Amino acid sequence: MSKIIVVTSGKGGVGKTTTSAAISAGLAKRGQKTVVIDFDVGLRNLDLIMGCERRVVFDFINVIQGDAKLKQALIKDKRLENLAVLPTSQTRDKDALTREGVEKVLNELREEFDYIICDSPAGIEKGAQLAMYFADEAIVVTNPEVSSVRDSDRVLGLLNSRTRRAEQAGMEPVKAHALLTRYDTARVARGEMLTVEDVLEILAIPLLGIIPESPAVLRASNVGTPIVLDEPSKAGTAYEEAVARLMGEQVELRIATNERPGLFQRLFKRSA
Amino acid sequence: MLLSPCSLNEAGESLPNVASGNGRDGPRDRCRIGKLQYPGARRRLRVKSSESSSPGVTDQKITSRSVTTVRPYQLRGRFLTAIALRLEGAADRRMLAELDSQLRQTPQFFADAPLVIDLEHAGAEVVPEDLATLVEHLRYRQVSVFAIQGGSREQKAAAATLGLISIPVGGDTAAKATDLKDAPAAVAAQGSTVPANRLITTPVRSGQTIMAEKGDLTVVGSVGSGAELIAAGSIHVYGQLRGRASAGVFGDETARIFCQNLDAELLSIAGLYRTSESLDSGARKRSVQVFLQGDRLCVEAFG
Repeated sequence: MSKIIVVTSGKGGVGKTTTSAAISAGLAKRGQKTVVIDFDVGLRNLDLIMGCERRVVFDFINVIQGDAKLKQALIKDKRLENLAVLPTSQTRDKDALTREGVEKVLNELREEFDYIICDSPAGIEKGAQLAMYFADEAIVVTNPEVSSVRDSDRVLGLLNSRTRRAEQAGMEPVKAHALLTRYDTARVARGEMLTVEDVLEILAIPLLGIIPESPAVLRASNVGTPIVLDEPSKAGTAYEEAVARLMGEQVELRIATNERPGLFQRLFKRSA
Repeated sequence: MLLSPCSLNEAGESLPNVASGNGRDGPRDRCRIGKLQYPGARRRLRVKSSESSSPGVTDQKITSRSVTTVRPYQLRGRFLTAIALRLEGAADRRMLAELDSQLRQTPQFFADAPLVIDLEHAGAEVVPEDLATLVEHLRYRQVSVFAIQGGSREQKAAAATLGLISIPVGGDTAAKATDLKDAPAAVAAQGSTVPANRLITTPVRSGQTIMAEKGDLTVVGSVGSGAELIAAGSIHVYGQLRGRASAGVFGDETARIFCQNLDAELLSIAGLYRTSESLDSGARKRSVQVFLQGDRLCVEAFG
């Protein structure tokens, strides 16, 4: 049975798209047939982070409107054979999405894929609501700061009320996981950021993982490689562990310290 | 000491606390209180200052909780489910035999079960002697018969001699008000009110509004910042309250807000409110109750 997982947060810039790319690549790496869909119509980013921006011909909106077949719009990843990307339109806006259209595409994808990752846009408007509507599970991406946590709390409220699982009687509610990103142990120690405990106390949902703040994330994004496929980094490892937990494995939770360039690296001044 | 109340007045200033002074323990302070107060009643008390050096007697408003906590007992409401044995004719030998056979069929169900004899439909056929026989019979069978309901004045008198109490019948108490003249008012009122309370067992998230239009609102879980609780009655939060809570929104000044961990943005009872800025930091992150005292919103911490 395939699973639809929405990656959402409410607030922008917390790492939804990075997480969508890393989680979907991580699942595909573990042999799961995975597709990742960009719901951020008009602000297309996922294709850049996945490194397939030059291969986009048809998109999600074309499929919804019947201008193209799903097979034509899906982009097979060149690194992982189990991974596909469904990019969105850069020229349209969120009104181009319809609930019926989204449902039709998702049903079609369910037949082929084990995991369908929906990369939600920021905010709580139509795009975000449609991204979460059909979800079975949710990854709520949160930064350790108050505005992000409050927005995540708001999104959790929507997941409990504005989704198909919430509206249809007899269905289990959407299973939500918290993913703490851009976690900076040094700043937490100085009291500049919320601690893991603070965040979880407010959100009251299970923690999927803690991704340390890392320059490797930006570097990977810029070269169009999901962080788990890039050279080993603490953030990449943290994402791989989060993927394992998502698949139901018991992996001990560790808080990785930040990556500071070591002496060796500083001497050789490795550039991104 | 069970409680160390920190009552606040409108200006956020702490009121003198009866049970805290010069390292004295609770019971010794209690001796200094001129008048004892019963729970629920808030009125002015004449209290001797807890400072032993000051001979003057000051007239201070204190909360009832600070006085009542030192009592060695508590009064609590208690509901229980009992079996009602409804008699629809004479309690004769035949009826006792049938009852016996039923008791034998399900002995564990009746063993020590509290039982009420319902005489509502029995009429005058159940004479006091029959009632005595029935009660004896039931007690012999280990059924804890403790009360009758309904019945004539004569039957009630007979029940009283057998050590049974007479309890009023739920729905029709009003119709039989004359019959119940002697019954305590509190018992008579019970049963006729329909509870319209609301219970939420999931965390209340930012942006959600939960309303209990007719009764109390109980939340088991935390209330996020930016969430809103509204109730006609009281509000109870078993978790952290970070959002807004408005109790007694239709003007009920006896409504209260209880929460396990206070970090609220706004608290209001019957229209009187405090924002988080005017909350005393001593009450923050603690278990508190919020109530109206006159036109003052008091926040009092427990424990």
